[in-house]
Amino acid sequence: MAAQSIKIALAGNPNVGKSTLFNALTGSHQHVGNWPGKTVEKKEGRLHLDGQDVIVVDLPGTYSLTAYSIEEIISRDFIINERPGAVIAVVDAANLERNLYLVTQVLELETPVILALNMSDIARNRGLSIDPQKLSRGLNGAPVIETVGSSGIGVDALKTAIRQTAAVADQRPARIVYSEALENEIAQLEPAIRAVPALVQQYRPRWLAIKLLEADEDILKRLEAHPTLIAAGHAGSERIEAATGEDAETLITDARYNFIGGLVSEALVRPREILETTSDKLDHVLTHRLYGVPIFLLLMWVVFQITANVSAPLLNWVDGVIAGPLTHWTIGLLSALGLSGSWIEALLVDGIITGVGGVLVFAPVLMSLYLAIGLLEDSGYMARAAFVMDRVMRAIGLHGKSFLPMLVGFGCTVPAVYATRTLENESDRKLTGFLVTFMSCGARLPVYVVMGAAFFGAQGGNLIFAMYLLGIAVALTTGWALKKTVYRNKPPQPFVMELPPYRAPRLQTVWRQTWERTSSFIRKAGTIILATSIVIWLLMALPATSEGRFNDVAPGDSVFGTVSQITAPIFAPAGFGNWQASGSLITGFIAKEVVVGTMSQIFVGEEEALAVEDLAAAPPTFIEDVTFIGTSLLEAAVLTVQEIVNIVPRTVNIIPGINLAEADFLGAGGEVEDTGALESALTQVFSPLAAVAFTVFVLLYTPCMVTVAALRHEFGTRYTLYQIAYTFAIAWLGAVIVYQGGLLLGWGV
Amino acid sequence: MASQLSSVLDRFVNQSAPVSISQMAREMQIEPGVLHSMIDYWVRKGRLREVNSGGEACTSCGGKSGCPFIVNLPRYYEVVGENTPAAAPPCACGGSCHTSG
Repeated sequence: MAAQSIKIALAGNPNVGKSTLFNALTGSHQHVGNWPGKTVEKKEGRLHLDGQDVIVVDLPGTYSLTAYSIEEIISRDFIINERPGAVIAVVDAANLERNLYLVTQVLELETPVILALNMSDIARNRGLSIDPQKLSRGLNGAPVIETVGSSGIGVDALKTAIRQTAAVADQRPARIVYSEALENEIAQLEPAIRAVPALVQQYRPRWLAIKLLEADEDILKRLEAHPTLIAAGHAGSERIEAATGEDAETLITDARYNFIGGLVSEALVRPREILETTSDKLDHVLTHRLYGVPIFLLLMWVVFQITANVSAPLLNWVDGVIAGPLTHWTIGLLSALGLSGSWIEALLVDGIITGVGGVLVFAPVLMSLYLAIGLLEDSGYMARAAFVMDRVMRAIGLHGKSFLPMLVGFGCTVPAVYATRTLENESDRKLTGFLVTFMSCGARLPVYVVMGAAFFGAQGGNLIFAMYLLGIAVALTTGWALKKTVYRNKPPQPFVMELPPYRAPRLQTVWRQTWERTSSFIRKAGTIILATSIVIWLLMALPATSEGRFNDVAPGDSVFGTVSQITAPIFAPAGFGNWQASGSLITGFIAKEVVVGTMSQIFVGEEEALAVEDLAAAPPTFIEDVTFIGTSLLEAAVLTVQEIVNIVPRTVNIIPGINLAEADFLGAGGEVEDTGALESALTQVFSPLAAVAFTVFVLLYTPCMVTVAALRHEFGTRYTLYQIAYTFAIAWLGAVIVYQGGLLLGWGV
Repeated sequence: MASQLSSVLDRFVNQSAPVSISQMAREMQIEPGVLHSMIDYWVRKGRLREVNSGGEACTSCGGKSGCPFIVNLPRYYEVVGENTPAAAPPCACGGSCHTSG
């Protein structure tokens, strides 16, 4: 007669190589299904040991056997109900202490344990030395086997251990001894449990007593038919708390950790420096209380240099394609349809292509920014930025956690507003709602780039950096002032942050994020910016008086120009009291990208009209256009590589005493960027000082319509109206201070 | 004598400046993985709160357009106070949002 099969369970934390070991033990003799009534996968396999049939059940990966998750309840119920001959507890030898917690709970179920020290090769490589004999002694003689599941090391020894463990009828697993107060209560509960035969049949009395004292929800539910036992457990817990000042569950959990501490102090030897990883060492520098902030600022400066310079050739290429072939083809097509010179041609060329195209040309700039931010994110540094800035925030009495939504605001203000939900109390949430709107989102970047290129050439990156810094400074000042007046509350509670380890950025992840963010910008150009461009064109085509004709009116005399002229004097003290600037700022309320789109329509629209006439006289051929696209793309690619190479000398050049300004390893760095039509037109209307004041205004006033909706959704209408009024006032004041201050210092020439 | 678990909670309550988990583990001479388990214990007990900094930004319909811009920020833990907010309302417009990281 064949011997009866025995059942063995494999238990362990997630990601300890349990499944690999299961495969090594059972080979192809596996059955995969679900646990009864659950959607959790159940794997069962068979092996034969000296004619003995062994069923191996792979339990779900869990960190403990409490009743907080379905996986934990499944694992626990299996051990309780099926009473396996042994539980192979698979532990990650490199993280022994954490993994042993589950083992203590298996031991409490009075089930024989075989300890598989898996990934023992990794543990050794980390300098950890584990003595299996000592560990076995601490576990009352339970077998401890070193295994490497991936290479099959230790699998035979594990099979031998299964055979030996199954052969011993009366197993006495190690017992965790709790404090006196706990042991007294367990001793009082055990006889009461033993008095109920149905319970003794199913549960180990000591384990059940412990669960009653822990007030395990799952067990309390199952024991509803035994209210006296529940009451006894509850009374016991209260006595323990009265005697020790701690609740029973905490004392029991702590006793498990003490048991583990005792085990590893005997069996595990680790090098002194094991607690300090490479990430920890890097953090000593990068999150240093003195150098942390300057390093953060330096990195951000490099990001904006990359954004401004590296993307320039591709920006010019996109600009060339839109202003050249795309415009030629549109005009050609309309001409073929007999619509040449019609209002439809004006709408498409002066309105849509100029307005939307004027924004789309910045896609390479934003892509560069998102790429640089993505690299910082994936390397693990961005998390440190929040940690570093926390100190600054707290130094001026602000909540350090507020900087986390502010960091989100670097990408887009809308999710930053929603990210304030993570803050604990309402006044902090409302306060942070004010601050996030001052962070420079990606939509403001095109304005900085245009102004930087038009007035500061190769130093445009510094203007961008200055705007980002100014945004942070205004946010912090606003926060400080509001904290002292409107949103006074208790000093913030510091937090504990889980800093991810540093690593080399994964290019695939970074690229995916960069593309998602850039394509979101492109989609916006095809929706909200397209719609706004059409409306603006219409308002610019409509004459304000009866003297003009539709689509035949000077922009200043159009409805748009006239309305803009009414608001223009408001901005005169800031140096940009012209209708073009005020008109762009009005439309910028819809979305910040529209500021540039409107400027393109105002300034470039007229030039486009002239270009249309030139084209009609001598249109380039299709082949010429396609050749232009190809050759200019190639040229842009080469120039981009040159710009990347030239980042280093340009960056080093800011260090005093080192002059590498002329350094130009591949030839591109020294060239003055070719300014586009918009940049040229801007220099006719703005002085450099007025341009900076205008940029400051764009930075500080209400970010966009969607942000307003988000603020209203989160904080209500009244708050949002205050917010709009406050940001407008701050923006106006900031622009006036810059302009008037600059004039006083003699910079206005 | 206070239990090691209670010492971890006390450290949260009494700390004067933010720390990282690995820094806390070093200072308390606790293996980081074990400290994680202990923090998880207090989170389950409702004494600490785990906050996913960027995650909340994607739970509202209005915020969905900004989803790709959620910066991959770390989780943090804090002591649960009197004013701890309820969980963010679920998104009424359906669908799910991708969050980086």
